[in-house]
Amino acid sequence: MGKCFSTLQFHASRCDGCGDCMTACAQAKAKTDDHAYSRIHILPKIAGEDVELALCRQCADPVCVMNCPSGALTKNADTGVIDWADSKCVNCLLCTAGCAYAGIVYDAEVGHVSKCDQCDGDPACVKACPNEALEYRTAARIFNDYADKEDMFCRGLSACHGCNSELLMRHTMRKVGPEVVMAAPPGCVPGMGAVGYNGQTGSKFPVFHSLLTNTATMLAGVKRQYNRVGRDVLAMTIAGDGGTADAGFQSVSGAAERNDPILFICVDNEGYMNTGMQSSGVTPYGSWTSTTPVGGAMQGKRTEAKNLPIIMTMHNCSYVATASTAFLEDYYAKLTKAIEVAKTGMAYLHVHAPCPTGWRFPSGMTTEVCRMQVRTNFIALWEYDPANGLRFTHPVDRPQPVADYLKMIGKYRHLSEEQVSHIQHTVDDKIAYLRQLTQMAAERRPAPAHKVAVGNTVSA
Amino acid sequence: MSAVTEPSRLATNKPSFVVCEGNEAAAIGVGLSRPDVVAVYPITPQSSLVEHLSQMIADGRLRADLMNVEGEHAVMCGLQGVALAGGRTFTATCGPGLAFMFEPYVRTPGLRLPMVASLVTRDLLSPQCVWGGQQDAMVVRDAGWIQMYCETVQEILDTTVMAYKIAEHRDVMLPINVCHDGNYLSFGVTRVEVPDQQEVDDFLGPPNVNWHIALDPSRPMGVDPLTGGAGGAGPRNFVRYRKGQVRGMQNALRVIREVHAAWGEKFGRYHAPLVEEYRLDDADTALVTIGSMTGAAKDAVDIARDKGEAVGLIKIKTFRPFPLQAMVAALAKVKRIGVVDRSVSFGWNCGPVYQETLGALYHTGKSIPVISFIGGLAGADITVEHFARAIALTRELQWGRDPNEPVWLNEND
Repeated sequence: MGKCFSTLQFHASRCDGCGDCMTACAQAKAKTDDHAYSRIHILPKIAGEDVELALCRQCADPVCVMNCPSGALTKNADTGVIDWADSKCVNCLLCTAGCAYAGIVYDAEVGHVSKCDQCDGDPACVKACPNEALEYRTAARIFNDYADKEDMFCRGLSACHGCNSELLMRHTMRKVGPEVVMAAPPGCVPGMGAVGYNGQTGSKFPVFHSLLTNTATMLAGVKRQYNRVGRDVLAMTIAGDGGTADAGFQSVSGAAERNDPILFICVDNEGYMNTGMQSSGVTPYGSWTSTTPVGGAMQGKRTEAKNLPIIMTMHNCSYVATASTAFLEDYYAKLTKAIEVAKTGMAYLHVHAPCPTGWRFPSGMTTEVCRMQVRTNFIALWEYDPANGLRFTHPVDRPQPVADYLKMIGKYRHLSEEQVSHIQHTVDDKIAYLRQLTQMAAERRPAPAHKVAVGNTVSA
Repeated sequence: MSAVTEPSRLATNKPSFVVCEGNEAAAIGVGLSRPDVVAVYPITPQSSLVEHLSQMIADGRLRADLMNVEGEHAVMCGLQGVALAGGRTFTATCGPGLAFMFEPYVRTPGLRLPMVASLVTRDLLSPQCVWGGQQDAMVVRDAGWIQMYCETVQEILDTTVMAYKIAEHRDVMLPINVCHDGNYLSFGVTRVEVPDQQEVDDFLGPPNVNWHIALDPSRPMGVDPLTGGAGGAGPRNFVRYRKGQVRGMQNALRVIREVHAAWGEKFGRYHAPLVEEYRLDDADTALVTIGSMTGAAKDAVDIARDKGEAVGLIKIKTFRPFPLQAMVAALAKVKRIGVVDRSVSFGWNCGPVYQETLGALYHTGKSIPVISFIGGLAGADITVEHFARAIALTRELQWGRDPNEPVWLNEND
């Protein structure tokens, strides 16, 4: 399979035109603050339009390279960057004529063309941007590492249009591979055919349709037996929030208390989206659901969501983390740890899964909704282990107002100003609480080694 | 499939004798059967059974993995995982614990997992009660588990071991409840013979519990996908599974007989596998009993015989699958029947064994008077005197008596 490369991404709507990126680039490349030396250029706003970016896109099919008669421009097969070789350049400027992005231009100060080289994978402009308008997207690594691995599900799982649970499942199981036993309690995961229907299955690995109430314990039993016979098999689930936080909670809590060596992934779509969008224990305050409807006497859910991942940290699970499919690198890093941890103790991943069908937003917006959850601090990305405590993996210090997130989603359409204000307040409180935990983690004395794996006999 | 290779320290070169309660006898039987994983959660009057097992594991006498879980529901779920991964399992429960276990419990037979679990029978709430009775077992008589009711402490030990051989028989592949009465058998202490470990190993053979359904990366399969619906392959698939389950139940009637016969040959103790006939051949009146009450009932029969009364007894050991042929053969011998239940069938105004005896009686082609006795609820003792009264009432039975009025044996105790 082909290779993917990291790239610079520009969010015009976040750019205020401050020019810090250009200063940083000029400093990095010419040790001057003079923007004339910058290889990135922010073009001023024209009435009614966003700012424009002039920057090399490191095209996959680069016209500049084709136009170059001397071989001075080449597409680097390892980094994807279009390299310019001073020694070969004949200053014909044919490259500049081919580029639609003003990504390679003649630089009168230095007497030849110049272009972005992505600072060898650590772009100065991105670090300088105060508004996160520039991002260096390195998610290509995931494609490069995993695209050749087998997709462990059949084509055509019957998930709803725009469902990120299917995305999550395919990513996760591609990484996990075939030495696994997966359980799927009632919910969207089996609902989309992961376990199967009338004799046919959508999965290429052993998979079990567990009960809503028993997933963690059932997996603990599977793992016991494989430990007993000395086989290294990952016991894991991808479960919904009902099978984790509500009816499934006793099972999850018991397994966590025993630190059973399993990987428990909760796909949190904030309710029973598979059965008709009913409310669950993790449905946020104010949400419309089919059992917390909106009418004259009731305006959506009247109580707060329980904070399940924090509850799991209180069980001293060997590893707990939250994740978002809009931040897949973050997820992969956590999944990698979780798979390792699950050899000896319980790993719990809480992945947020906005549901276009049940939450009422366009199916093309799922990833943007995921991203906005994080940008507003509606959810926070963090990880925890008993030895090191809790730490943010993607801190958002200047969050957008939570109203920006809520207005994207139909289930919040009815919210009053007071309700929005209440939600903002609880989001602020939740982040403050998490910050306290991170500070505690930073100040704590070194912890003794945490509980070890269960199983009083391993004979093989 | 089992990783256990070392002999259990229970092993001796010959049978040994111990004096123990019924719960410990069950634990010894479990130990001899070498389960891979034992999952425990305590409940009266089962608790000493799982305490004995826990101690055996702690001492290294039983090399099983001990799973301490947070409730009976988790017990059954954890063991389903173990069995699907190929392990032999054991647990025990009763009463409210069984009620809490119900959701995964009813699923086990459909998965065709050959588990063995003791049911230390206890009456169900409410009124709040912690004592023996068979209401818990009778409530789940149609859940798909095989049910065998023990009469003595020795029979508990022997039946527990035999249960593994029956459950894991390829023609059966169903879970078994070895039922013994709470209080009377669970805490009743007698001398029992403990068979030699090597002999038991030879008798049972290694477990092979997941050849048909497995969670195993070397044999990937989707276990228990949605099956059914009104169209396509759904209805016939479901019928195929259900019919196979029913067939397994019927096959068990044969296998239970074979295994009891083999046990008798190997260990010299012959227990009636399905139905025991006691002094029945020339009897005109019979009591039908189940479980530990049978001992006192046999004494009452003996006393009646001494008085010249033609009284016999039919003891049901295997209640699920219902031993229809054996019951028909026994019932056909007599003219009047009194059925003693240790539970009730709500809405039928009688006991469940009575109700099912009537079902068997239909197949004898005879129409004879039958009476329902209900006794021993919530730990009450059914004494020889109670049975003598039951015999007297049964002998007086005339056709035409209201069949739906039970006699409550302990009503005036």
